[in-house]
Amino acid sequence: MQPEAVSASTTRGPEGSRARPGIPGWLATLVLLLPTYGWLFIAVLLPLCTMFVFSFMNATPMGKAPIVFTLRQYQVFSTQPYLLGIAWTSLLMGFWTTFACAVLGFFAALALARATIGRTRETLLILILLPFWTNGLVRIFSWTMVLREGGFLDDVLHWVWPGAGSIGFLYTRSAIVVGLVHGYLPYMILTCYIALVTIDDAIIEAAASLGARWWTILFRILIPMAAPGLISGAVLTFVPVLGSFMEPRILGGRVGVTMGTVIEDQFTQAFNWPLGAALSFTMLAVVLAIFATFSGVLRRGSGAVA
Amino acid sequence: MIGLARFYLAAILVFLYLPIVVMMAMGFNESSLYELPFHFSTKWYVALAGNDQLISAGINSIVIAVITAVVSTILGTMASVALARRTFKGKTLLQLMLLPPIAIPWLITGTAMLVFFFWTGIGRGMHALLIGHVALAIPYVVLVVGTGFQTIRADLEEAAMSLGSTPIHAFFSVTLPLLAPSILGAALFAFAVSLDQFVISYFLATPGFTTLPVQIYSAIRKGFTPEINAISTILLIGSMAAILVFAIFARPGGVSDKR
Amino acid sequence: MTNVEVSSVAKTYGRTPVLADISTDFTEGSFTSLLGPSGSGKTTLLRIIAGFITPDSGKVAIGGQDVTETPVWARNIGMVFQSYALFPHMTVAENVAFGLARRGIRGAEARQQVDRALEMVRLPGFGDRKPKQLSGGQQQRVALARAMVIKPSVLLLDEPLSALDRRLRQEMQVELLRIQRETGLTTIFVTHDQEEALTLSDKVAILDRGRIVQIGAPAEVYERPKTRFAAQFLGDSNFLNGTIANGGVRLADGTLVRCHGPLSSTGNSATLAVRPEKMSILPAGTSPEAGLNALAARIETVIYAGPALTYVLVTPDGTSLKLFAQNRDGTVLASGTDVTLAWSPDHTIAVED
Repeated sequence: MQPEAVSASTTRGPEGSRARPGIPGWLATLVLLLPTYGWLFIAVLLPLCTMFVFSFMNATPMGKAPIVFTLRQYQVFSTQPYLLGIAWTSLLMGFWTTFACAVLGFFAALALARATIGRTRETLLILILLPFWTNGLVRIFSWTMVLREGGFLDDVLHWVWPGAGSIGFLYTRSAIVVGLVHGYLPYMILTCYIALVTIDDAIIEAAASLGARWWTILFRILIPMAAPGLISGAVLTFVPVLGSFMEPRILGGRVGVTMGTVIEDQFTQAFNWPLGAALSFTMLAVVLAIFATFSGVLRRGSGAVA
Repeated sequence: MIGLARFYLAAILVFLYLPIVVMMAMGFNESSLYELPFHFSTKWYVALAGNDQLISAGINSIVIAVITAVVSTILGTMASVALARRTFKGKTLLQLMLLPPIAIPWLITGTAMLVFFFWTGIGRGMHALLIGHVALAIPYVVLVVGTGFQTIRADLEEAAMSLGSTPIHAFFSVTLPLLAPSILGAALFAFAVSLDQFVISYFLATPGFTTLPVQIYSAIRKGFTPEINAISTILLIGSMAAILVFAIFARPGGVSDKR
Repeated sequence: MTNVEVSSVAKTYGRTPVLADISTDFTEGSFTSLLGPSGSGKTTLLRIIAGFITPDSGKVAIGGQDVTETPVWARNIGMVFQSYALFPHMTVAENVAFGLARRGIRGAEARQQVDRALEMVRLPGFGDRKPKQLSGGQQQRVALARAMVIKPSVLLLDEPLSALDRRLRQEMQVELLRIQRETGLTTIFVTHDQEEALTLSDKVAILDRGRIVQIGAPAEVYERPKTRFAAQFLGDSNFLNGTIANGGVRLADGTLVRCHGPLSSTGNSATLAVRPEKMSILPAGTSPEAGLNALAARIETVIYAGPALTYVLVTPDGTSLKLFAQNRDGTVLASGTDVTLAWSPDHTIAVED
């Protein structure tokens, strides 16, 4: 490049450039954000507010009947004590599912983080996560094929021990838990894995050099350091399980009565929308309380969900 | 110890895939009562072709999934651009507002939508389903595109501007091409999320317009027939394919971590 | 004209003032380094000149035109970023041609200019490669070509060599100097590496906490630092504290030290700076040549680095001093030895604190 007369170049600025920047910045930001948040406002926030209002109604507003506001729906736990039992069942179900996912998932994540490398690990991760993103209904239906009387379990049993009875346990509470665990295990494995994979090898080596045996390393180092992943996975398992109704119905049959199915009933069978709304909001309150309690951990622990 | 770990992982994989494999296999078994021994047959898939209800539900599902993917990707990408590149107050609040569709149990969101749409006269059916599905898919799109943004350094746009690009030109000539894989991935993701969506669809569907998962659910409640296995297998392969393509293309953040 | 003028520029973030009243002139065709520790504001100043940041007050003028309100894309600058910021989805040629396209130069003419630019940075024929196929040094040179091909009014470099290893960095410094001389571009170069600043620049501007502490030719800034910070940041320095007396500065132990340049009124306290390489070691008790300053000290630590020796000494009143000596004859004095230090008043500078 010859050293040109420098003055000739300075006057030629880039084309399309003006001193004024054009659209004001705040307007551009608004245009970008409004469609999304407008949509969410209409599709999520307003409905939740509406349901909140409904929960104070006496009866589903149909036709010309006047709307009466009452707290009756929220008192339903005292007027219909059997609901307490159902609530308790739901909580237990949530607890057992979360616990099983935590134990199984943590060790799977541990195995992934420490016993596999590179390509194998990536492939395994994709394989493990793949079912999570497929249709939950289909997966639950698959379990009926295995757990029903005469299903896969029984077939295997009879192949080994012909003439035995049935071990199919479809339409029991355990079946529901098995189906739910199957559904949420991959997610728990992911969150635990992300937490475990950041633990430096050197930490474990340092512990070993100081005399720690494997159980010490497990309970005093690995689990505490993976706690954020465990907790965020647990919260994001427990909450959806609380609200599940499809799994209890399909896998539990008549035994599958949970808060979720009760709420669903109000909307599809009993047409008692105010009661459904009140129960929903009670559940929402519980959910929000759980999130609030663990908000610190959740923010740190749930890095890449995709 | 490593051997034990590998065995355990294999067991987990068996647990995860066994029911699915069994379910798929039974779709190819002749017996209508799922009885063994296994005789291969495609008659259930043939019967499927004649099952108008399931077919129309399937078509509805795909149409809704495609529209959802397109709309949510456009909206979500725009929001993502604003969140990633523009500075303003209240970003955390806006990011929090994306959580309800994913974090709140869909039972609650679904029934809320039902109530609201009834009260405002929107009713149920295709338009209601679209509103609901898009609302659900947007957070995922923002998440995926947002993660993609993090891999694009801000100084690339600055370099373009220093060479004479206006901010808009810099976005379209530098950022957008680099973001393309993430956007595509987000669209695939949204497609799969919509296709598999059951709970919201359950409350917003009508007897005249329903989606495949809802139809499958009704069929299951009536009784098990291998036709359900056939359609479930198709649905499963469809969403698995979409997710696999996504996994290969968009390389989501948490998975591709190397040690 | 392509000089740059910065007048009374200031910038505050929140409650932290990052730049305070910066006024200086970058003459046409000059190579100026902005040198300072992190947080000194040097990068902020560069980005204000570039147009990425608008100053809270003050003006920026390029070539006599006030560009304070002009956005960055209209200022006709060329910038090289610390991370090179090459567009990964474009080839080298497309990267270099980017600015040309924005100026309406496309097709054959653009290709010609791109080829010439690549030749200038000694990367002929690299046009079809992608950035990720290039080494760090090569990417750097492509970034340089991209910024220069558009014939900018001013070339701005933001610590462009800090990601390179030592050897490569020295090679690139030579290249940069050559290119700048050939093109005559007004260049402003941000760095925290003092050696780099001294080697490359016509002028060095030392920044400390948002202010230009001193600006001048490398030799002037190095040999005649104005403040304690300037003396310490650019090279090493010893400091002697005392009170101003007739003819010099009297230290606590009574020694009179003569220095370069006028002093303020007698009785005030003063700090004198002396560079470690300017002192020589004489056996204890020797009187040095007439006119030289002398100070007694004891060797505490000896650092043997091969070609150079560093002695850490302490004076009777506890002041710690450093001395760099060339390893001329292989003799190394032992720790604990008492010596006399001698140096010229010309190398003794009174500095502000």
